Amino acid sequence: MSGIGLELLALQLVTGVALGAIYVLLALGLSLIFGLLNVVNFAHGAFFMVGAYVGVFLFGLTGNFWVSLVLTPLGVGAIGLAVERVLLRPLYGRGIDYPLLLTFGLSYVFIETIRILFGLTGMRFPTPPELRGAVNIGIGFFPLYRLFLIGITAVIVFALWYFIERTRYGLIIRAGARDPEIVRVLGIDVSKIWLLVFGIGTGIAGLSGVLAAPLQGITPEMGVPVLAEAFVVTVVGGMGSLAGAVIAGLLVGIVVSMTSLFAPEMAKVSIFILMALVLLVRPRGLLGRAGALG
Amino acid sequence: MTSIDLTAPRDQPHWLDVASRYRVALTLAFLVIFPWITPYEALAVNILVLGLYALGFNLVFGYTGLLSFGHAAFLGTGAYGCGIAIVSYKIGWFGAILIGTASATLLGVVMGFLAIRTRGIYFAMVTLALSMCVYYAFYQMQSLTGGENGLRGVNLQTISVLGVSLPFINPTVKYYVILAFVAVAIWLFSRILASPFGAVLEAIRENEERARACGYDVARTKLVAFIISGAFCGLAGALNAIHLSIVPIETLHYTTSGQVVMMSLLGGMGTFFGPFVGAAAFLLIEDVLAMLTSHWQLFVGIIFIVFVLFFPRGIWGSLLQWAERK
Amino acid sequence: MSDPVLVAQNIGMSFGGFVALKNVSVSFARGKLTAVIGPNGAGKSTFFNVISGALTPTAGQISFDGRDITGTPPHLFARMGIAKSFQITNVFPELTARENVRVAAQALSERFQLFRNRDSYGALIDKADALLTLVGLGARRFNRARELAHGEQRSLEIAMALAADPKLLLLDEPTAGMSPEETREMMNLIARLAEQRTIVLVEHKMKLVMGLAEHLVVLHHGELLAQGSSDDIRNNDEVKRVYLGQGAVAVGGRA
Repeated sequence: MSGIGLELLALQLVTGVALGAIYVLLALGLSLIFGLLNVVNFAHGAFFMVGAYVGVFLFGLTGNFWVSLVLTPLGVGAIGLAVERVLLRPLYGRGIDYPLLLTFGLSYVFIETIRILFGLTGMRFPTPPELRGAVNIGIGFFPLYRLFLIGITAVIVFALWYFIERTRYGLIIRAGARDPEIVRVLGIDVSKIWLLVFGIGTGIAGLSGVLAAPLQGITPEMGVPVLAEAFVVTVVGGMGSLAGAVIAGLLVGIVVSMTSLFAPEMAKVSIFILMALVLLVRPRGLLGRAGALG
Repeated sequence: MTSIDLTAPRDQPHWLDVASRYRVALTLAFLVIFPWITPYEALAVNILVLGLYALGFNLVFGYTGLLSFGHAAFLGTGAYGCGIAIVSYKIGWFGAILIGTASATLLGVVMGFLAIRTRGIYFAMVTLALSMCVYYAFYQMQSLTGGENGLRGVNLQTISVLGVSLPFINPTVKYYVILAFVAVAIWLFSRILASPFGAVLEAIRENEERARACGYDVARTKLVAFIISGAFCGLAGALNAIHLSIVPIETLHYTTSGQVVMMSLLGGMGTFFGPFVGAAAFLLIEDVLAMLTSHWQLFVGIIFIVFVLFFPRGIWGSLLQWAERK
Repeated sequence: MSDPVLVAQNIGMSFGGFVALKNVSVSFARGKLTAVIGPNGAGKSTFFNVISGALTPTAGQISFDGRDITGTPPHLFARMGIAKSFQITNVFPELTARENVRVAAQALSERFQLFRNRDSYGALIDKADALLTLVGLGARRFNRARELAHGEQRSLEIAMALAADPKLLLLDEPTAGMSPEETREMMNLIARLAEQRTIVLVEHKMKLVMGLAEHLVVLHHGELLAQGSSDDIRNNDEVKRVYLGQGAVAVGGRA
């Protein structure tokens, strides 16, 4: 390992942050939905995958990456709204397992529908021309697209934080996470908040799908392992904690990136070991509280 | 054959309660004649083995109310444990099955210890993630497990039972040998459900806080249930290994955990015979749909969603409810 | 107080910045019925949760039979002999009334019995039936708990609490949500039980416990306001002021 210099290490760290950015987005959506609706969205990986396909479809249609980047989360979020309204809503109050089971079945439907529409084999999603190449970030050259990932994630995290902490809707969402009864007493339709939050959560999953697409190519099954990884991030960060999702996402990204440098065969297992350690020390995750946003 | 034996609201025992008293005998009688009513015997073995897998899973999901999404780890570890014992260590088939079951039980201790302290649906995520850890670990241990190609060569041409050599490749022989194990498992399972411990499990499913107030150590009870459940699923895995003569790596993947969740829900969670109904329904749906379309998983997903929304008691559970009203 | 079964000393409980209990010290006499009363927000429920083990106090000490039990896990409270019924109905809905009580009685035996049939424990079933008869549910023992009326479910809960042979029975607003008829029956049941048992009753409706309880403890704003016999409390100026401040509603019953 003597050949590994400090700069390589630093670059690998930034790579980890870029990888972590995707995890952050996935875990944010998952955590938001869990914190408010008390639903573990087992279709989150499938929404991620659908995001990648909608992205490639819109990219092909318009030829413009930016248009696709804006429209994809809206499109996937709209699917999310429909799912919440039509499929999940009848299940509230019937036990916490049912929404989970339903979304698990839904992931099969999404994957197979994409196979029917786009074929069994994967597709490539070229990096948009304006984001190709690498830039010198002081410690060496780093792919521009990955920098862009970090940047856009920071923007999303900030926007979400602002929305939840500083706006009227955010206030209602936070109150709703603590006690839906209070919100109901105030005369606000809680079901509208749930609908909105599910839409936002799945929209972000869709966005992370289109963002991840140029890095790995897209297949109908791409969301399957991602779901497990997103769960790890959420468990490490603490269920329902948005700050936890950000910290854990970056941490997991860095752990994966570092182990793939030093012990590539351990890269996949490493995050699960990280999770096991966190569970031993803090069963509720790094910043986990009992199911509230925070 | 039912789970309503404790809850008879009448003075006269309902015929279902009588049937329930003989649930083991009735289940076994059905399974003995089962191969003659299935289209082909390999399917009967599949249903038997996956039914046992669902039976073990049902202990945590149906009877204790814990939704685990990590039970593939037990099926897989049981299968690999048995397969590796045969392929790499040339251990006899019976010993190999015990080794597979024991490995899964041990894994149950470790996974249960890590996961049991988490609450509610959190438990599903943690068990899923832990089982994926097992998946990648087996994936990496290529020399022992065959990595992504799976473990091959778990071939048993003949097996010796009490000095008698039986042709295990004969599907009928295979079915009844495996049924012998499943029968013992079913009997044990029924005993556990009928025991005071089984009563505590149901109490926890019904009302965890109340069970705690009664003086039960809920976490420890759940852990024991999780480990026992892992042992049953490990046995199912070991039997599957000698049945298929290979262990695909996908056995360990969380989609295999999802399958047992689907089978349980299709059959009827918390019912004694439901797991076998669920396994049969799942495999038949898969068989029939796969003949008609390559996109059969779409329909599996839709059928599952329909059950979650409209038939949460599953096929057997709904039948029981209907019979109970009569 | 000569022989206290449970002693709460300087109990404090705060949630974040909110102080729910402040320096509350109460001794509960063996063999007596003690009622803890107070207006809404007095900290009665918090106090109940502390003495029943559901919450660990942030200050002070709980001792039971002379032993410090502060911070003991909730399930061990039941094993030590402290049983409780909840404010909201808390039974096993899909199990029969008999099975509800039988499971509660079974908790006394420590070991996991994996392979014995639960029906072979005849003593437990007899005990369950006897307790169900005691609370007036003898004829309903084969009904599922969810099929019982609200008042019956509360009685079932008390039978479950008694199944553990408790040295101390804690009841949290046992008549909450009951019809006047059900309330009367419940109070009669409690009076009967109090003849042989030590009971702590947390109650919102002062009128119900006056005369029934041998000792009353009044909480207000998380603090101990007064304690004594029914007459002491009835004539206590501070108690009058607190309850009058709430109007006749608080004394007469829940609005």
